[in-house]
Amino acid sequence: MRCVAVGLAAWLAVILAGCRLAPGHPPDPDSRPDQVLDFATLYDQNCAACHGRNGQNGPAIDLGNPEYQALIDDASLRKWIANGMPGTEMPAFAQSAGGMLTDAQVDVLVAGMRKAWRAQDAFAGAAPPAYAPAAAGNAGDAQRGQQTYQVRCAGCHKAGGEDIASSTYLSLVGGQALRSIIIAGRPDIGQPDWQHDAPGGKAVTPLSAQDVDDIVTYLGTLRSAATTTVSAQGGGK
Amino acid sequence: MPGMKRAAGRVYAWLERRLQLAAPVKDAVLHPVPRNTASWWYVFGSAAFTLLFLQIFTGILLALVYVPSAGEAWNSLNVLNHQIPLGWFLRALHGWGSNFMVAIVLIHMAQVFLFGAYKFPRELTWILGVFLLLMTLGMAFSGQVLRFDQDAYWGLGIGASIVSRVPWIGGGLVHLLLGGPIIAGATLSRFFTLHVFVIPGAMLLSAFLHVWMVLKLGINEWPMPGRLVSRATYVDQYNQLTHEDGLPFVPGAFWKDLVFSGAILAAVAVCAFVFGPYGPGGQPDPSIIQTVPKPDFFFLWIYTVLSYLPPAMETPFILIAPIAGIAILLALPFYASEGEKSWHRRPVAVLVVTTVAVCWAVLTQLGTTTPWSPHMSAWSSDPIPVSRLHALTPLARAGAVVLQAKQCRNCHSIGGLGGERGPALDDVATRMTMDQLRFKVVTGGGNMPAYGKNLSPPEIEALVTFLETLHPANEPPAYDPAQQQAIEAAQPSGSAP
Repeated sequence: MRCVAVGLAAWLAVILAGCRLAPGHPPDPDSRPDQVLDFATLYDQNCAACHGRNGQNGPAIDLGNPEYQALIDDASLRKWIANGMPGTEMPAFAQSAGGMLTDAQVDVLVAGMRKAWRAQDAFAGAAPPAYAPAAAGNAGDAQRGQQTYQVRCAGCHKAGGEDIASSTYLSLVGGQALRSIIIAGRPDIGQPDWQHDAPGGKAVTPLSAQDVDDIVTYLGTLRSAATTTVSAQGGGK
Repeated sequence: MPGMKRAAGRVYAWLERRLQLAAPVKDAVLHPVPRNTASWWYVFGSAAFTLLFLQIFTGILLALVYVPSAGEAWNSLNVLNHQIPLGWFLRALHGWGSNFMVAIVLIHMAQVFLFGAYKFPRELTWILGVFLLLMTLGMAFSGQVLRFDQDAYWGLGIGASIVSRVPWIGGGLVHLLLGGPIIAGATLSRFFTLHVFVIPGAMLLSAFLHVWMVLKLGINEWPMPGRLVSRATYVDQYNQLTHEDGLPFVPGAFWKDLVFSGAILAAVAVCAFVFGPYGPGGQPDPSIIQTVPKPDFFFLWIYTVLSYLPPAMETPFILIAPIAGIAILLALPFYASEGEKSWHRRPVAVLVVTTVAVCWAVLTQLGTTTPWSPHMSAWSSDPIPVSRLHALTPLARAGAVVLQAKQCRNCHSIGGLGGERGPALDDVATRMTMDQLRFKVVTGGGNMPAYGKNLSPPEIEALVTFLETLHPANEPPAYDPAQQQAIEAAQPSGSAP
């Protein structure tokens, strides 16, 4: 009789103590989608599809590139996430602009990317061209840009598969996006940065700020007026 | 010890002198039943009765904590799940008890139907049983509402829209169902009252009458092919059978009922322990649109039927089918109150049960597995496999961005990730030529909307360029042979090696 009682008590104790380990123990309740403030979760739910897991190997720009993170300032990063980037497929994510994220969630994304991917001294002492063009509207010289493009870019981006000087491609990539890729490169897919923008990724001199302005202006002229108009209509989400 | 025994005997005698229950209980316990009905086929009714009491017992314990208010219900379920020791297990017992009860009631009904037990003189037992089935389903639905999560909220919305289709009085009925024009606190109070007072009360009363009639009229004898039921002779034949070849209900048949009910209770406990309680899912807030509500298991078949019905058929079906179904069930014992009981000579009955069971299983399976809804967050959360992006041209890469940003992924998967509403795109280039892809994107077709007006020409071009790269390495993309021929014919002769 005593044995049975002790056994029963032990069994009850195991059940009570181990009930958290039971296979049927319910998981923690879901929090509201607008109260999720974990960077990894927010990034995976909202950004990873285009920018890749860990900010790499996505079809859109690699946010995990330390050079890109060093180039762009908080305000710009925040602006593109919240309001989208005109001239590209980047949609607006802030609730104020029709998206699903609260201001606090956008802040978490900005801070999280900085913490995860900004490296100390990403440019190894070199000074890159500024993130934004010196004058509003990319006031470079298109003719000089064409020459620079022929020398520094066309070696790889020659006509054919790698061609980027087509109006179709350029209608989908805005001037600022081109500028960011020219300066920071895309190491995840082997695209060089401004110091190495030259045939074979071996440049004698880095591109100057003026060179970048010129190339972006030149490529801008290749977007035909017609496609840009349609893109502005159709591209807006 | 003998003194205590004597005292107990005196108390019993005092009570019995006033209650006089000994004789009727003895009658019920020892009443003879046909020997061949002491069978494992006759245990489902008592198991349903046992489950009813499990539900009442666990329900009372849950009601001690549950708060039937729109603001508190969801929180109180989470308190049960996480703060009260074994509270989750209690919820799981009640939830799985409900599943088992619906299942056992349906099996009981099928068995009674196949054994012809609804025939004279047990017509009223059957009719009460039909109402007990409806009340069981009512308990299941109102219980789902009390869980007051997103499934409950949208389930109520669907229930209200079904009710609203009743001609003339639909609006009034919705008001009555929801306790106002919207799903709110009054709705929950209403369903709490139904689930806790009204339906269980009616159910207990009906269940006792049901059992009372079983005791008074006797348990249906094992059906023998050729032994026909006739109003004039049945009762005498039955009495003769129970006296010549019968045994007392206890313990002759009762021990099988006990063993089976015990096994069912154990099965409920195991399911509760292993699979846990149902929900609650997300908060019942209509402003949260990141949700794919689904009804509980036993209502999935309705969900499937409603999904497949052509829109014009919906209202007639919703309004006529349930009433017709209930009317048929109620009319059955009057239509066929005499005659053959054995399923060996009732092929239509066997076919009906088989057809209903197969239809129900198929519809439930479809409701469980069919991807009715797009994955609304796939476009922003499901990356394209890196191998698919490797060595893409800039234009195709831009096309991959278009594919994501225009939310194609919500319906089309790549690499197993994404929606399943449309076909997977992993090898779409082997199925469609570039022209066909372009045409499909622009004009849509089948279930796919036309994207011609939502995409600019460069976006379409980039998207199709990317889709054209989606083929296995050892399988070239599809091409149009006529076009290929024209290209070859246009080339100057001699250029071919």
